[in-house]
Amino acid sequence: MNITRRALMRGIGVAGLAAATPGIFAPAIAQAKPVRIGILAPRSGAMGTVGECGIRAVQWAAERMNKDGGIAGRPIELVIEEETSPKDTIERFRRLVLQEKVDCVQGLISTGVSLGVAPTAEEEQALLIMWDGTTQDGVKEAMPKSNYVFRSTDNECEAVMASLLAIKYFKGKIKRIAGINPDYSYGRNNWEAFQQILRRAGVEAEVVAEQWPKVGTMDLTSHVAALKAAKPDFIFSSMLFADLPVFMKQGSAAGLFEGVNIALPAAGWQINQLKKEFMPENVVFGHNTLYFALPTASPLQKAFVDDYMGRYKEAPHWEADRAYFALAAYKAGVEAANKATGRWPKLDEIIAAIPEQKVQSLGGPGQFRKDKIAEQTFYQGLSTNKNTYDFPTLSTVDSFTADQLQKPPGVDFWDWIKTSKLPV
Amino acid sequence: MRIETSVRAVASPAAPPLSRPKGLWALLVIVVAMAALPLIASTYTLTLMVPFFGFAIALLGFNLLFGYTGLLSFGHAMFLGVGAYATAVLTSKLGVRSFELVLLTAIAVSALIALPVGYLCVRYTRIFFGMLTLAFGMLFHSILFKFYGLTGGDQGMRVVRPLLFGMDSAGGKTAFLTGPFYYYALGLLAVLGFVMWRIVRSPFGLHLQAIRENAQKASYLGVQVSRTRLAAFVISAIYGAVGGAILAVSIGLADPEMVYWTQSGNLVFMAVLGGSGSFVGPVIGGLAFVLLHDSVMAATQYWRFVMGAILVLLVIFFPRGIAGIAGDVVARFRKGS
Repeated sequence: MNITRRALMRGIGVAGLAAATPGIFAPAIAQAKPVRIGILAPRSGAMGTVGECGIRAVQWAAERMNKDGGIAGRPIELVIEEETSPKDTIERFRRLVLQEKVDCVQGLISTGVSLGVAPTAEEEQALLIMWDGTTQDGVKEAMPKSNYVFRSTDNECEAVMASLLAIKYFKGKIKRIAGINPDYSYGRNNWEAFQQILRRAGVEAEVVAEQWPKVGTMDLTSHVAALKAAKPDFIFSSMLFADLPVFMKQGSAAGLFEGVNIALPAAGWQINQLKKEFMPENVVFGHNTLYFALPTASPLQKAFVDDYMGRYKEAPHWEADRAYFALAAYKAGVEAANKATGRWPKLDEIIAAIPEQKVQSLGGPGQFRKDKIAEQTFYQGLSTNKNTYDFPTLSTVDSFTADQLQKPPGVDFWDWIKTSKLPV
Repeated sequence: MRIETSVRAVASPAAPPLSRPKGLWALLVIVVAMAALPLIASTYTLTLMVPFFGFAIALLGFNLLFGYTGLLSFGHAMFLGVGAYATAVLTSKLGVRSFELVLLTAIAVSALIALPVGYLCVRYTRIFFGMLTLAFGMLFHSILFKFYGLTGGDQGMRVVRPLLFGMDSAGGKTAFLTGPFYYYALGLLAVLGFVMWRIVRSPFGLHLQAIRENAQKASYLGVQVSRTRLAAFVISAIYGAVGGAILAVSIGLADPEMVYWTQSGNLVFMAVLGGSGSFVGPVIGGLAFVLLHDSVMAATQYWRFVMGAILVLLVIFFPRGIAGIAGDVVARFRKGS
């Protein structure tokens, strides 16, 4: 092959121009490159519908944000993997980080799984923003101080709030309490928190029954019979999976709820399955961080709820809010760090920026604390069946911010329950 | 009756054993290929291989019961759990980080548990053995799940990175898993594979096969059926525990899901996939399962349906698994040439 002197000089000229002007072309290339967000959420089993609601919300959020310029000018691309057992989910997490090369992983609902994945994120030095899954026990041992893991609000917040509302609405009527809670750390913590808060409020109630069905149990007739035989005047249940509608249906059929007040701190997860035909009124009904029919909802929430209910013909619940919040917090952190540095920020700069940002999430404002734990707004209230849906809504809406329901940084949850200044 | 027939079809090879890849050589090929894999494979693929080594060791033990003795355990994940929880207790609670000590403890504990459990189970065969092992497996799962203070309940127990031959390794967890621990686990697979090869070729191994074919006739010939079955049960439990210890280090957690019946079902799936009728079949099945599971999960959310369909097709059309297919191909090639 012959190379002429003119061709050689032209080549050197082009190469020199390209070398001298990276600043002109590089940003355009960088901006075209998508921000890859890995999503880990359950898609089947007892938590399947819950995970699906979160996935729908994060897809809605990504679509909406992309129309608005993505994250600092780069489009968002979601890579979805299923959350299953701890072993398999850790493998999916590694796949997202090592194989898919995502910029951030978000999701996780089960505490058992998150306790396995979070230390892996720390070891891999990969950013993980959790939607849920932060039951107390184990969290403090497995994640005492995280550098790369942002955790959701404590799972016990909803039980604390439901306990406070039970006192607010039913004090003086609580003499014989019964609990039916899922047989794992979440259920046990919630039941214990309820009893401790009652004691702190001076409510001397007798525990007449404790039932611990395994998660996913679909025949609860023996538990219903045991509760009915104990003749409680107040039932506290933090059941939250597909077994909650079954319990309410079987309890209603057995007449368990006649003359009994009830608190269901996590019922919002099953809102679409809790039909009016078997739901009593005036239940302390927890919607966690998203009440779909909030009278004072933001335009963002209204737009989301309208789109969601129009597309899926059902109401969204708090996992949608958690998913939106995680993505919005990441976007806010990246854009703040981008603005400060004038370039695409490094991972440690993003991590440092995230806790500074106040985020408007679907359910209301929220932000991450310095210790990387979320603070959001919680909604519960007394239920009513007087509405146009086939499931209950709230007749009274109470809202608390997480700093009223959640232990401060560095404090043990059980010490906090004993000593904190509770809002009710 | 249907279950019994299908189990026999899988457990008892229809074709002559010589038409299969030679067991030890096939294992050697796998070990050498795995040793060379870090030169070409991605980091993520290597992280997948570590659980495979754990499963492969457990499957060698599982196959001693299933393929060689004709006893199908539906609760074998219990021993994966024994190994995993032994690792968790030693490394995170007692501060013992020597993996050699962890392995010795896992072996001792699994043998101690397997002796009484096996004593009760091996008195029965076929579906009754399967149901008993399933019951013991679920009993163990309940203990792990319910004794929260002792086991961490549903949240499991952390596993701290162990020392290998008393040495710590620099770098993060991924570097550890794909570097020193990768070769350590592969070495264990090679050594335990060779030991298992010697076991199945020994008079003891022949006794097991005689028991599988006709326990009554074996007994007439002087084989102590129950005692031999019990020995096989204990050996398979030890292999399961060693595999569980490797899995626990890879995951960084010991949790009750590891001993749930679905995990025992996965072991059966792997054995069937690879072909329980040959020595190396379950190891091949373990590798195929890990890779298949990973790619199907990444490809579709209906991965359980796909995996189930594959199992159905295998049992109906390829009851001798991948090893059987490979053996047939080799035999046809030889015949053709």
